[in-house]
Amino acid sequence: MRFSFVFSEMGIAIRRNLSMIVSVILVTFISLTFVGTAGLLQQQIGSMKTYWYDKAQVAIYLCTKTSPQEICPQGEASQDVQGTITERLDSATLAPYIDKYYFENHQQAFETFQKEFKDNSVAKYVTPEQLNETFWVNLKDPNQAPIIIESFNGLAGVEEVKDQRTYLDQIFSMLNIASLAAISIAGLMLFSAVLLISTTIRLSAVMRRREIGIMRLVGASNFYIQLPFILEGVVAGVIGSLLSGAAIVGIVQFFVQGFLASQLPFTTFVGLGDALALLPGLVLVGAGLAAIAAATSIRRYLRV
Amino acid sequence: MISISQVTKAYRGAPRAALDNVSLEIDKGEFVFLVGTSGSGKSSLMRMILREDMPTSGSIHVLGENLVGIPSRRVPHFRRKLGVVFQDFRLLPNKTAAQNVAFSLEVIGKSAGFIAEAVPDVLRLVGLEEKANSLPSELSGGEQQRIALARAIVNKPAILLADEPTGNLDPATSEGIMALLERINLSGTTIVMATHDVGIVNRGRRRVVELSQGKIVRDERSSGYGLDR
Repeated sequence: MRFSFVFSEMGIAIRRNLSMIVSVILVTFISLTFVGTAGLLQQQIGSMKTYWYDKAQVAIYLCTKTSPQEICPQGEASQDVQGTITERLDSATLAPYIDKYYFENHQQAFETFQKEFKDNSVAKYVTPEQLNETFWVNLKDPNQAPIIIESFNGLAGVEEVKDQRTYLDQIFSMLNIASLAAISIAGLMLFSAVLLISTTIRLSAVMRRREIGIMRLVGASNFYIQLPFILEGVVAGVIGSLLSGAAIVGIVQFFVQGFLASQLPFTTFVGLGDALALLPGLVLVGAGLAAIAAATSIRRYLRV
Repeated sequence: MISISQVTKAYRGAPRAALDNVSLEIDKGEFVFLVGTSGSGKSSLMRMILREDMPTSGSIHVLGENLVGIPSRRVPHFRRKLGVVFQDFRLLPNKTAAQNVAFSLEVIGKSAGFIAEAVPDVLRLVGLEEKANSLPSELSGGEQQRIALARAIVNKPAILLADEPTGNLDPATSEGIMALLERINLSGTTIVMATHDVGIVNRGRRRVVELSQGKIVRDERSSGYGLDR
């Protein structure tokens, strides 16, 4: 086995076939960038879930004067209702599930509201009486929210019991759809990359059919004949995957850390470490797909 | 050395078999002319000996290998013991004479040192050492065939298959190629040469095997192309 010869043959093949090789590199690059982005998005969803789910509370909203008549026929919830709820939250049945809870009265709710909607004109029209008095419950395990919901839903004086995670779930399902879309695009692009690699390698083989004919005649082993072609595909695949790795590192460095993190300071974002961790996988996928596509295509060409 | 026994080759869709129950023994050091019209089966027979093709039935043994049973991964190693030349030379146009010869050694993994020694030697043998750095396009037909011969014998094959090696050459140049083939034969290489060239066969007085419609119709020691031709 003379590697210098195999590599020089591969170099000749790449030079002759340069435009096709460049297109293989670009398609691999773009498709793997989508794969990597989808991966990062999944990690982002994962880290946001653990972060926000821990903070997510179950809110027990009490009736106000302005609550709908059919839910709160008796109007504003009385002190008794607060007492019943406190009693139940402290009871032996519920207490083990609860990390902590606190009560927010009209005035506190109003202050929070004013703070959160500071720049919004709605803040001017809201009065403390319109805002629900609320029990905010932090659970030990956020997955057990249904227990609280079932215990208090329908209780006289309670307008609604709401698990905040239902809001989060909407956001996460949107992010999930985005990452699924990225994966589907990546899948299609990878498929076209594979087809492009097979075509390129076959073209390369046709361009070098005299050499292949002579190699077969003088008894070069199949492996020796095929290796330059497979390497040609692998080199293109590796270059493409390295470019996609660079793109993903760039996206994380400049867009996520540089822009998003400063815009949304209280959110944890994927970091450079996450992007770098994806790199070996991307190169492996790029090189592996290219090798398989090239090997299958050259085998089929040589068999004829 | 070459032992062909009751070989029949039928191509799908062809009206008759390309080779029809052919049996042939060729010994070490022989020089055999394979004659016959186009389509008589000469090329099919050569392809079988090279194991480019398999017989439909019958058996072929070449250099101790059973070519019907040989696993395909062993075929390359088997072919290294054979040399082949063709009517159309089949040189690589973008490589020089020396590089063309070296290529056939590089692809079977010979060392650079071996190649550096063997290539000038074989170019000297075919009388083209001064054309080592010429491209095929700068060489005459006869010179190109010499380079092809150099490539075929550089690995010292036991058998040289020549498929109409003088088919594209004028008579004087053909004589030169024949003289070279005879020298190669004298060094112990078995030669099987398919040809249409009546003059060459008649002058050679070698063993002649004539094929017609896939059958051997004549096999004579030191004969001519045909009595009535």
